[in-house]
Amino acid sequence: PSIPTSEPGMESATGDVPVDEFGLPQIPQSAK
Amino acid sequence: MAYWFHRNPLKATAPVTYELHGVSTNEATRKIFSDLRLTRAKLLELLTDPNHARETVEKAATDYLSLLMGLCIPMDQNEPENKLRKLIKFKWTNTLLGNVPTEASDTGFEFFSMLFNVALWFTKHAAKVAAKDDPDMEEAKEIHKCLRTAAGIFRFCKDDLRTKLIDPPTEGAQDTDTRVLDAYIQQCTAEAQEITLARAVELKHAVTLIAALAYETADMYQKGDDALVSLDQKDVDKWRKYFQLKNKFYLSCAHSYNGENLLSQDKCGEAIRGLRESVDLYGKAEQLCKEYGQSKGAGTTARPQNHLFFRKLGPVVKRTLEKCDRENGLIYHQKVAFDAPQLELKATYGLVSPEEYKAPALHQLWSADVYSKFSTLNAPKPQPVKKSKEETPAPLPTVKEKETPMSDKDPKNNSGCTIS
Repeated sequence: PSIPTSEPGMESATGDVPVDEFGLPQIPQSAK
Repeated sequence: MAYWFHRNPLKATAPVTYELHGVSTNEATRKIFSDLRLTRAKLLELLTDPNHARETVEKAATDYLSLLMGLCIPMDQNEPENKLRKLIKFKWTNTLLGNVPTEASDTGFEFFSMLFNVALWFTKHAAKVAAKDDPDMEEAKEIHKCLRTAAGIFRFCKDDLRTKLIDPPTEGAQDTDTRVLDAYIQQCTAEAQEITLARAVELKHAVTLIAALAYETADMYQKGDDALVSLDQKDVDKWRKYFQLKNKFYLSCAHSYNGENLLSQDKCGEAIRGLRESVDLYGKAEQLCKEYGQSKGAGTTARPQNHLFFRKLGPVVKRTLEKCDRENGLIYHQKVAFDAPQLELKATYGLVSPEEYKAPALHQLWSADVYSKFSTLNAPKPQPVKKSKEETPAPLPTVKEKETPMSDKDPKNNSGCTIS
């Protein structure tokens, strides 16, 4: 499956982490 | 987020009848003028109420602007410009300059002004949704979407429509001024990013990400304030105070989260200096809230100091600083840095940018043949535009905007952003 990327208008320095509708990582990095 | 956002008033305009005797020559041309009159009146009525659905306003805007387009863009390649462009004088007030309108015999000015008002509606709709006691996830998305849409429209007004105006006014804080437009773009983008930041706080994202987002948000508010610095301060003082208080608040927020990160790396001396900076900035934000509340100027008065998200930061920073001071005395014994720590310049996630606006396509009632049936041979000349100070145009009544009741009740969580 393709990895979801951020919506247009959301900038992300890295494209390899799935993000939510606000452009934030779907899993908070502090929770990893 | 009750009373969290500052909003300038809608632009007022004089009625436009689109009755040009001798210009419309048949049923098709009369139909276009008639529909222009009706769709303009309908859109203006909708814009006074932020409670309408986004789709309702979007459709009404498209209905009017797609028709108006036929009076703006070149419709005949043998003409230097659209023959209908200068036939009607439009009057619009400016959001920062009270009730005396700017006049222009230019349908491009009408397109710019109406679209500008549509962008203002999106900001007011977003503020209305944000004023609920506990906005849910879908409502947070709606606020975020509306603010990005508004930012995109303001950017389109600045980069596209403004450059095509026939004779843009040059004096004062006019809405066509690039500095005013830049401030609106920065405000909408920063406010959308505030929503992202509130969500990042609620979801307990990494403190480094939250600090970076807060710093970026503060920077946007700084840029908005900078854009207005060379305008007459009596026109922009209140709005600038809003930019300044938000800038100081988010800088305080950034130093607070950055301090937590430094402490987690056992850099206690640097953390203490950063947290002291945060306390200092929070005090400045509180002072600016007072000055903003007392300042005279256009727009609604926000009350950010009443919001839990604002109120909570000060005590949290002070407690963290006390904890750091204790730990430094007992464990670390580090020297407190002289300069405040540098903040991260770039957030890796959650950065907001304006949503690109695309102007509507030309309405299907228009065609080259229909356009050719408009006759400007006997067109009435519009009254000359009043330019000198002795000939100030008559003031227009302020737009009666529907009130949005806002409570000061605290949300169920710290940020006012509900997660799902």
